Amino acid sequence: MVPLGAYIAVSAFLFFIGCAGVLVRRNAVVILMCVELMLNAANLALVAFSRRYGAIDERGSVFVVFVFVIAAAEVAVGLAIVLSAYRNRPVVDVDEIHQMRG
Amino acid sequence: MTFDFVEPVVFAVLSIGVIGAGAAVVLINRITAAALLMALTFLCMAGMFVLLGAETIAAFQVLIYVGAITVLILYGVMFTKYGDRPYGLFFQRQTPLAAVFVFALAVPVAYWAFFFTSPPPRPGGGDLPALATSVFTDYAFPFEVASVLLLAAMVGAIVLTKRDETHEFDERRRR
Repeated sequence: MVPLGAYIAVSAFLFFIGCAGVLVRRNAVVILMCVELMLNAANLALVAFSRRYGAIDERGSVFVVFVFVIAAAEVAVGLAIVLSAYRNRPVVDVDEIHQMRG
Repeated sequence: MTFDFVEPVVFAVLSIGVIGAGAAVVLINRITAAALLMALTFLCMAGMFVLLGAETIAAFQVLIYVGAITVLILYGVMFTKYGDRPYGLFFQRQTPLAAVFVFALAVPVAYWAFFFTSPPPRPGGGDLPALATSVFTDYAFPFEVASVLLLAAMVGAIVLTKRDETHEFDERRRR
């Protein structure tokens, strides 16, 4: 059986890949993708702990369901903001977007 | 002959998929390819959930992440034009600082995570009954709040992207 540590290590790797992407990339859509990667890494950690840490406890999975909801809402509103900023001035470069006021 | 070696092999393949595709999302210059690689990351993650025995979560993962969120992101890619730019321009200016910051955080956390030890797990069955019981008893109120949040997000997204029709009509008539 694969130990819990391996899952947590993969989760940590993916989280920091997403973290690096958010800090390093300039395209707003790619930044949203990296945020999704970070949320998914957190999901893996939650499920791994709920299945493999001591007694099986479904509360971790319940939190994962709520994270799904938050992620869907976040990407919908985030993309809407990116698209309305893009319509204002056609750039998706976060260095170039200086003001959000319509 | 035992099949104990299968699970580590599957885990290794899935973790290479998750980490490799995730790293490619950050490093690749072509944004459509990045979006599809993100879908591959989510799919490998669903495989990991199955390996952990959380089949319901894996199904949700495929439905919501691989289905809905990837399509949304692809819409975002489609509606925003991002021309070919030199490679040096697609990273932010603070790249060295950001790299140092991430590595300083990542190395100790990854080290701690890899040598984490846990008590032995107990075998269990499918996860759907326990999950459903938990959602509809202990977490019934957060569940309802989540539905309100989704409604608010939907309305917000529509309001944010709605074009100002009357204004545009005036502009067109003036031309």
